[in-house]
Amino acid sequence: MQATLPGEEGRLPEVMAFLHGCWESIGLPEELLFPFELALEEVFMNVAMHGGTAAGPSTVWIDLEPAEDRLELGVSDDGPAFDPLAMATPDIDAPLEERPIGGLGIYLVREMMAGVSYERRDGRNALRMWKPL
Amino acid sequence: METTSEKTDRAIVLSPSGRLDFSAAAPFQEAIEKTIAEAAGAKLAVILDCSGLDYLSSAGLRCFLIGARTAQAAGARLIVCSLQKAVSEVFDVSGFSRIMPPVADRAAAVAAL
Repeated sequence: MQATLPGEEGRLPEVMAFLHGCWESIGLPEELLFPFELALEEVFMNVAMHGGTAAGPSTVWIDLEPAEDRLELGVSDDGPAFDPLAMATPDIDAPLEERPIGGLGIYLVREMMAGVSYERRDGRNALRMWKPL
Repeated sequence: METTSEKTDRAIVLSPSGRLDFSAAAPFQEAIEKTIAEAAGAKLAVILDCSGLDYLSSAGLRCFLIGARTAQAAGARLIVCSLQKAVSEVFDVSGFSRIMPPVADRAAAVAAL
């Protein structure tokens, strides 16, 4: 299943509705919903908050594909090239006073998913995330 | 998401319920900061009862982090309790379980004061 929409912060409810629709119509396991909701929110919000240009928001393409042995979520955007996987890992052992406020989103995605890949292809940032079914 | 607040003789209990995602983060942060200010003024602790919270993303974690710092600066105790499984997983993975160790339930939170 696929969805295409502008990468705007206010579109998050639509993005989640798409994901919930996938779960209902494909009949996916309930225990996989939370990690995919989290991954999709983090990646979509990253594009919405940092991915656009002065000309306007990026276009975001979302697809969810169940294969035989795994469930794969793809999020692409036509914004400036940006590889979120190249970002430094936040220091999750730092004490309260030193914990940075940001940078946790992509870290959570990497931890909650079995695999994440990034590719810059045909003018788009393409992230793919998966977990075994 | 909804957040309710309740005053007991030793703490103000703030109970967020529903989904603490990016869209819900700003009003929740406002609620948490207001509660901490009120609690600090009345020499009370703050208990964040998360029994009704079923979703938490990094935007929500940011509220908890800012809340913990605000409480520390104001000299108020802040205790998180009753995390559901998904929320608990986010707390563990992000290392938040170490900087603000959650307790099992409200009785344990009161006992920890």
